[in-house]
Amino acid sequence: MSLKLDYVLRETASNFRRNITLTLATVITVTISLTLLGAALLFGDAVDNATVRWKDGVEFIVFVDPEISPELEEDIRRQLVDSPEISDFTYIDKDEAYAEVQDLLGDSPELVEVITPERLPASFRVKPTDTLPERVDELAAAFRAQPGVARVVTASETIRAIEDLSSGLRQRVIIIAIVLLVAATVLILNTIRMALFSRRRDIEVMKLVGATNWFIRVPFMFEGLIQGLIGGVIAIPLIWLTNNFFSVINEDVTLELLRGFTVDPSRVWTLGFQMVGLGAVVGTVGSGIAVSRFLDT
Amino acid sequence: MIRMENVTKVYKGEVLALQNASCEVQRGEFVFLVGPSGSGKSTFMRLLNKEEKPDRGRVFVAGRDIGKLPSWKVPFLRRNIGCVFQDFKLLPNKTVVQNVAFALEVIGSPRSVIKTKVPAILELVGLSKKMHNYPDELSGGEQQRVSIARAFVNRPLILLADEPTGNLDPNTSLGIMTLLDRINRTGTTVVMATHDRSIVDKMRRRVVELDRGQIVRDQSRGVYE
Repeated sequence: MSLKLDYVLRETASNFRRNITLTLATVITVTISLTLLGAALLFGDAVDNATVRWKDGVEFIVFVDPEISPELEEDIRRQLVDSPEISDFTYIDKDEAYAEVQDLLGDSPELVEVITPERLPASFRVKPTDTLPERVDELAAAFRAQPGVARVVTASETIRAIEDLSSGLRQRVIIIAIVLLVAATVLILNTIRMALFSRRRDIEVMKLVGATNWFIRVPFMFEGLIQGLIGGVIAIPLIWLTNNFFSVINEDVTLELLRGFTVDPSRVWTLGFQMVGLGAVVGTVGSGIAVSRFLDT
Repeated sequence: MIRMENVTKVYKGEVLALQNASCEVQRGEFVFLVGPSGSGKSTFMRLLNKEEKPDRGRVFVAGRDIGKLPSWKVPFLRRNIGCVFQDFKLLPNKTVVQNVAFALEVIGSPRSVIKTKVPAILELVGLSKKMHNYPDELSGGEQQRVSIARAFVNRPLILLADEPTGNLDPNTSLGIMTLLDRINRTGTTVVMATHDRSIVDKMRRRVVELDRGQIVRDQSRGVYE
């Protein structure tokens, strides 16, 4: 009953050679679907990173001077409270700002190290009653003139558009990726079915002389697993390419608002390995269905 | 070694292959199964290694009711039953030695065992000189010897032979029968389905005759008719 590794490897290798075209088609499909899925997830992460400050109707952010006096800060606060044009605001102190940066860059400790809470400005995230871009700009300009204010950053229409677009785009790409993954599973199922068919004589003899079901099955399931794994491994560099494309966006768009449209490298790696794992699952499920359906015992 | 109790087998609800058949074969016996095509000989054999299940009745092999055997144990039953067929069922892309070794390999025998057992069995069937030939380079008789070597290399308790001489000329057939007789003398129970009148008459062993699924004759030291 002992399943020898060299036996399984030998059988799998010969099946690969026998079925090279079908295997190729399967691997390509697995790769494309995993790349799309990985890219969609990555894109979502990048958008989240870029727009984390602009959640829940925040239209502009007033960064105060890091060395502002408490009185001046109080002035700004009072103005925000008193203004009828402002429905709500949140105060983010230095420590909270630091925590957010840590979240964003958590996977790059060398970056977090150079940043200290003291160097980060406190800020007010402001939700105006009227979100018309012109009104928001006017309000922002008013605060920009205020003493003690270092910078005022508004959420431009671009950012909003990106947010809306990205969630729709992401959903669609994920749906396509899932459909492709199902197609990949069916393809693997079919490849293994073909392999079972081309080796039916061997299988007949194996059953006759008393090979156990698992002994017969494992090489075929292993073949499906390998196809899924190869597809996933090829997807890793492709997902990296997608990530590089993000940095192109970062450099291209002059809007400083898009700073942060990036994903930490370790996140890309994690995602890559998750895709390899998913490839393995797809391969095992596809071949598992094939052997249980087409290998009657 | 083998016992069938009132076994009935119907294919697809209409083709009656065996009807209330009862039969017992002792350890070390040599039994000919005779009868016209479609009389149930092959079904008789297929029931023994659980390739088929009886619709009624029970089948015992080595004292065990194989109807009660869970499906995962069936391979272990088959390791005790060697099978030889009219069409040899050799793998064309493997040499003689690989074909025989394959049977041991797939039941997980260690390489050292394969290395000693395979040449020994090929010596027994007289094919040591053609070890590295492919099946299509061998005569029909030689191919059947390979198939017998493969069936017997694991020293099964029972050898089932379904018309093993069906494709062979009379002289070659005699050689195969001599080989099966030698295997039988080692204590292996042999059940052989055949149409070959001259062989049955010459060997004078137990004959079980089937006709339309029923055992119509069971005779020790019998003849074909």
